[in-house]
Amino acid sequence: MVGVVELITFALISMLTIGFSILVVTARDIVRAALSLVATLVSVAGIYVLLNAQFIGIVQVLVYVGGIGVLILFAVMLTTQELKGDSDVE
Amino acid sequence: MMSIVEFLFNPWVRGTLGLALIGLIFFSAVITVWLERKFGADIQSRIGPNRVGGRFGLLQLIADAIKLFTKEDLIPAKADKLLFVMAPIVILGSAFMMIVAIPFGAIVIGDKSYPIAATEFDISVLYLEAVSALSVLGIFMAAYGSNNKYSMLAAFRNIARMIGYEVPLGISIIGIAVMVQSLNIVEIAMAQSPLWFIFVQPIGFAVFFISILADMGRLPFDQNEAEEELVAGWGTEYTGMRWGLGLFAEYIHMILGSCLMVLLYLGGWNLPKFITGIFILGAFAPIFWFIAKVVVVVMTIIMIRWALPRFRIDQVVDLGWKVLFPLSILNLIWAVALGLFFGA
Repeated sequence: MVGVVELITFALISMLTIGFSILVVTARDIVRAALSLVATLVSVAGIYVLLNAQFIGIVQVLVYVGGIGVLILFAVMLTTQELKGDSDVE
Repeated sequence: MMSIVEFLFNPWVRGTLGLALIGLIFFSAVITVWLERKFGADIQSRIGPNRVGGRFGLLQLIADAIKLFTKEDLIPAKADKLLFVMAPIVILGSAFMMIVAIPFGAIVIGDKSYPIAATEFDISVLYLEAVSALSVLGIFMAAYGSNNKYSMLAAFRNIARMIGYEVPLGISIIGIAVMVQSLNIVEIAMAQSPLWFIFVQPIGFAVFFISILADMGRLPFDQNEAEEELVAGWGTEYTGMRWGLGLFAEYIHMILGSCLMVLLYLGGWNLPKFITGIFILGAFAPIFWFIAKVVVVVMTIIMIRWALPRFRIDQVVDLGWKVLFPLSILNLIWAVALGLFFGA
């Protein structure tokens, strides 16, 4: 019973990971790509927790999501991208 | 005696208690909103809400909630709809994930104390730090999704502030972890049984208090919502309950941050033995003591909001990197020195 639950959870999390990582490269919007990358990293943290490596899972969230993800978003915001198609603000 | 412990650890009882606790957290957020309006009015010699529900405006909250629920739900035409809809959920989710690791008091039976927490694991402080940082992503999603320049400016400021203040916050927590030799928040709370850590590490407490104010986005650090400059910050385009979720998240974050402050620095739920030794008092007194301290911290935070003006964003970033960061390092050195001197 526990094994089945674990298998289903693993399948869900790994599907999320793969789905988000595909989105990272296919997304047309650079911000969506960055956010998908963050979501991928969170899902990987889920896999770590599932493997009973809670410390690595939490450090994954702390470093990759709280640190690197935010840095990437910061860098993306500094790129000269216009607010899309809103002519009123110009 | 044993049967009570078994009763407490029954999964159904724990589940029901957990649901009640989540309801209580929402309710306490509502009460904090009321407190902020009424108490803030008192501080500024105003009257505050006094029309709905008697002199003290007790029903004002319900009126506010009905207003939020019945407002039209608008999504801007040029918005990124997915991000716009998901953002309040991420912000609230980050606040709710913190609940898992925070013990809200304890039940003391005899010599043993049973903390009222969903789980107790070895690295809960690290976990709290990690999930509370997730809210910045939600704010960024809201800002980018609503396609509004005010919101983007708010997100800019928010991220700049978060990067600056997560560091001293983390280092001041490390000071405590060094002293207790554990990252388990229950053990940290229990370790302050005679002496609160605010007296052992006053610099650490000051750094932690200021950083967590900035982390919660409370005035004087609410540059991301500065009404006079940015309309409503990240929430400019939000209406009705979508905005309400963000508001709730903000207040829940504030309450949980106060809980964290009480647990890390203000002695947690610890009471002297001769009080908790009495059976009935042991079951209730620690919880009331804990909640009383949390209320005091929340009221202090509200008082600071209504007493101080807002900093400029460059002043905030300066304060974070040039003052709090060196001070937190100093506190870490102090904690290590104390540990070496007394042999920890």
